[in-house]
Amino acid sequence: MAVYKKTYRPYEGGLTAPLTRFLVIPRYAFEELHRSRFLTFFFLATYIYPLICALIIYVQHNASALSLLGVQGANRLISINVVFFMGFLGWQSMLALFLAAFAGPGQISPDLANNALSLYLARPFSRLEYVLGKISVLVILLSLMTWIPGLLLFSLQGYLEGWDWMTANARLASGIFLGAWVWIIVLSLLALALSAWVKWKPAAGALMFGVFFVAAGFGATVNAVQRTKWGHLLNISNLIGSVWVELFQGANKTTSGTVFFRVPEGQELPLWCCCSALAALCAVCLYMLARKIRGAEVVR
Amino acid sequence: MNALWIAQVGAVLRLELKKTFLSRRGWWIYLLALGPVGLTLIHWLFEAGHPGGRHSLGDDVTAFAALFLLYYLRAGIFFGCMGIFSNLFRGEMLERTLHYYFLTPLRREILVVGKYLAGLTVALAVFVTSVVLSFLFIGRHFGAAYSDYIWHGPGLSQLGWYALVAALACVGYGAVFLMCGLLFKNPMIAAAVVWVWEGINPFLPTLLKKISVIFYLKSLCPVQVPVPPPFSIMVIDAEATPAWVAVPGLLAVAAILLIYSAISARQAEINYGE
Repeated sequence: MAVYKKTYRPYEGGLTAPLTRFLVIPRYAFEELHRSRFLTFFFLATYIYPLICALIIYVQHNASALSLLGVQGANRLISINVVFFMGFLGWQSMLALFLAAFAGPGQISPDLANNALSLYLARPFSRLEYVLGKISVLVILLSLMTWIPGLLLFSLQGYLEGWDWMTANARLASGIFLGAWVWIIVLSLLALALSAWVKWKPAAGALMFGVFFVAAGFGATVNAVQRTKWGHLLNISNLIGSVWVELFQGANKTTSGTVFFRVPEGQELPLWCCCSALAALCAVCLYMLARKIRGAEVVR
Repeated sequence: MNALWIAQVGAVLRLELKKTFLSRRGWWIYLLALGPVGLTLIHWLFEAGHPGGRHSLGDDVTAFAALFLLYYLRAGIFFGCMGIFSNLFRGEMLERTLHYYFLTPLRREILVVGKYLAGLTVALAVFVTSVVLSFLFIGRHFGAAYSDYIWHGPGLSQLGWYALVAALACVGYGAVFLMCGLLFKNPMIAAAVVWVWEGINPFLPTLLKKISVIFYLKSLCPVQVPVPPPFSIMVIDAEATPAWVAVPGLLAVAAILLIYSAISARQAEINYGE
């Protein structure tokens, strides 16, 4: 056929259902992430702590195992309570930050750096679906690290302890689920926003650490220099810790947070301030994404 | 080192300074340095409105020690050096411009030294200036008492030590991150490992403590900041290293890392396609 006769012909094949179209992105993204040996190893290593927790729960309910180990009093040493589950969530969430810092920056920056965004948006695929697809990569990965093993541990404890324990401690389950989701949303939005604005992947990852740790350090110095507690508003882990304490314990507070997400005693901020600060952070990230995720870019 | 090498180092230094000093890409590094300066400036202006004072000069000295340790050493200088030094080689790889250097009749060791000196000049100019300004601002609201503290008290000596520690931090972390940028495709992973290692330093056994930059830097700080509870119970005390060991020790470690980077650069091959 002559070249001039090759005119436009629309795609005639089957289309993916509109509701599940955004899942095309994670399908390819997971293939790429799987190719990184470091990420695969790191992801697998994040299950060490849940396995240890499961072992502790099992041993606590197994008298023969306790006697075999010669530690009959061990069930009094570690209690399976709010501290145990918050500690679990704290460790896993810190590992989730590392994973998001390694995997998140590679989500959007290559598309923008290579001007490939128009290739996505030229198809029946909206900006919202693009962002949903990209964010779902992180959401799935981080969920597999945080609330899913957390709820499995809760179920194991409930199974071994009985239905009464489960109903009496239902708040722990909701705390794990909602607390993890708050963290996942903040983390995913931040990772994507930085990925959209910083084209060099390692720099975006470093900036993510910077937002967490430098801002926390700066918040601590604000507190030290100005003799105030409002510097904690810059400390994301502190804000998350405050939300978690409320989700896990409500009005009956017995702890001041957990490992990496501890709120210094006497320096607690009002919960609405913490929630507002987190919401503001998410809004800024969404704005940053909306500014960058566009089919056409004016280059001056 | 002959005259040609010195001239070549100077040429690389000039070229790199043009590229890195006050570049738009490095805005966040300048923000890292400006943050505490702005904070102490606000503190000065804010407290100047309370002539009676709500705290003592000693409180401000301790607050600066906390600011220096918690912000400058743990975050500002660490991340700033990461941004400056890991970008020296890796940034050129990404922009596909490194081969221009490699095609010139220039020893790779000279290139490494030139680039390192350029990064160090930027880091020193940014962070040492920031530390000095923050120190001068934090107690300025005490007026003549603070001037007296600086000129006739221990203030000037403390300022000197803080500036020296900041400079040594730039030297040490600079060498670490230059090597990371040269050896690793993603220097972030190496940087994260270094960051965690430096962060857990107070809790490490005495022998392991000494395999870090922060241990020597903390030893040189004129005012010590205790680790707050509940982590204080996990701290393992180690004898502070005297200055005559810490300063040459850090410089020696930086020199070793630079030599290793230079050897690696000699064998470096570029494949932009990877």
